Amino acid sequence: MSWMITLSVIFIYLIIVFCIGSIAGRGRKSSVNEYIAAESSLGFVVLYFLMGGAIFSAFAYLGGPGWAYSKGAASFFIMGYCALGLVPWWIWGPRAARAGKKFNYVTQAQLFAGRFQSKGLSVIVAIVSILAFIQYITLQMKGSAYVFEIASGGRIPFWAGAAIAYIVVVGYVFFGGVRAVAWTNVFQGIFMVTTAWVLGLYFAFSLYGGPTNMFTEIAEKMPTHLLVGPGAKMGYVEYSTALLVSVLGFTMWPHLFMKAYTAESEKVLKRTIVWYPTFALFLVPVLFIGFAGIMQVDPEVLGAPDRILPWMFANMNFSPVAIGLVLAAALAAAMSTQDTITHAAGSIFAQDLIQPLKKEKLSDASATLWIRISVVGFGLISYLVAIFGGQTLVSLLLGSYGSIVQLLPVTAATFFWPRATKAGVIGGMLTGVVFNYLIVLKVIPKFAGVHPGLQGLILNILVLVVVSYLTKPMDRKHVQEYVGL
Amino acid sequence: MNMNKVREDDDYSIVIFKPGTSPGEKRKGLFFFTVLTIIILAQAFYWLFANSVEPITWGMPFGMFTVVALILLEFATLAAMYWTETREDSNKGGAK
Repeated sequence: MSWMITLSVIFIYLIIVFCIGSIAGRGRKSSVNEYIAAESSLGFVVLYFLMGGAIFSAFAYLGGPGWAYSKGAASFFIMGYCALGLVPWWIWGPRAARAGKKFNYVTQAQLFAGRFQSKGLSVIVAIVSILAFIQYITLQMKGSAYVFEIASGGRIPFWAGAAIAYIVVVGYVFFGGVRAVAWTNVFQGIFMVTTAWVLGLYFAFSLYGGPTNMFTEIAEKMPTHLLVGPGAKMGYVEYSTALLVSVLGFTMWPHLFMKAYTAESEKVLKRTIVWYPTFALFLVPVLFIGFAGIMQVDPEVLGAPDRILPWMFANMNFSPVAIGLVLAAALAAAMSTQDTITHAAGSIFAQDLIQPLKKEKLSDASATLWIRISVVGFGLISYLVAIFGGQTLVSLLLGSYGSIVQLLPVTAATFFWPRATKAGVIGGMLTGVVFNYLIVLKVIPKFAGVHPGLQGLILNILVLVVVSYLTKPMDRKHVQEYVGL
Repeated sequence: MNMNKVREDDDYSIVIFKPGTSPGEKRKGLFFFTVLTIIILAQAFYWLFANSVEPITWGMPFGMFTVVALILLEFATLAAMYWTETREDSNKGGAK
């Protein structure tokens, strides 16, 4: 019977989120700018949680403890890059926001397409983004399905669990646009952070009498677990390049980049960047949970390392209400990422892929309708991929992580290098993306543990520079409009 | 905007600062850029100087503590950068 109580707690959580999401967008006018960028009116607190909720995904909440449990010190990398990820935004964010005001942009691809006068570029960026998104969202769906499976003691099957969470997300994104995403993330963010701290400290103290004892015991039993390098789970080069690629690529994720257009002012944008590292500290207790599990259960008994968080409290004799709250927090982590990405994917599909392929410009009302249809369509496709996706598809999508960082050179060129040409940026980006995929698909071997995305990035920059110099420069007045932002 | 100054230079050279940025602002920008780059590199290569368990500090192994300490340092740097920028704005009489 206790599983029914647990499940009720989760459903109450879902109802609250749905209500917040539906109310948030009410009474606003139906325009593209409102739907995607909230007419540049979001303040600091909302933007902080909007960005935070997007990154604190099922990966952080379920995968984080899993990494700490199975890979040890390699999990520090997650904290490091989450804290630093937004720093490069100090350079791009305000410039993108100014471009948005000046030319009425609401997505990243529109900015590139405007600077380089190319619809093709817009289409390429849209395709790369959407491939990356599907991979990202599939992970979240697996996370939420997993939560329902545990909560119901296996009574809710995988396909149904994934569907329940996603219908709620698509529901409020469909009606409320970015405002719904933002306000639900505020609620989900506070909820997640509180639960993580309580739980992480509780495990460390109740099982070991404090974190210091816990780590002493771990170091005695497994001397290399808390280190990187030879003998540990992650090598030196691997650790460093993975962190660098993640930091450089983080703000290139289109769903984060385009949030520059939602900020009320540049000050709000910068204040969000200043406070963002504090969100990474929330990972300290999350990792504690994973470390606490090391002396409790053998990896062979546990099966997949991602199961460590649920395993921990399933074996602690918590009350069903407490279990419900923890599971709801894990669900919050998955959903707060799903909503941002679903919203971004729908917007990008309609604005950057459909719009450039149409002859005449869509009216504001029909463009908004297109975005809403795309939100539902994208939701359906990624759901089908999560349920039926085969191994080939999964490995294809894995390459998308290294593809996103390939947007970095074109971003830098947009704002800083007037000489960059359309052929240069397209050539560079395609080279980077293709090279990255060749490594991921194991056509060419990985070089010395260096992250494939970083290898692609170096080639990308080379091609961009060489091809730009070989082609005719673009109109001087036009490029100065972007460089002078 | 000062377009004439741009014309004199090579028109297509890399533009890091907006035309008309004062030398003081440029220096400040470069300073914070350097500090943050060092923090990013320190975070990526933390194993060079803190790849150990002992001493356990603030309940964390030394490596993890270093990562957290770098995050706090980063936060302080960003806050200082924000503070100097907004102070300038209000000195100028609130430049928007």
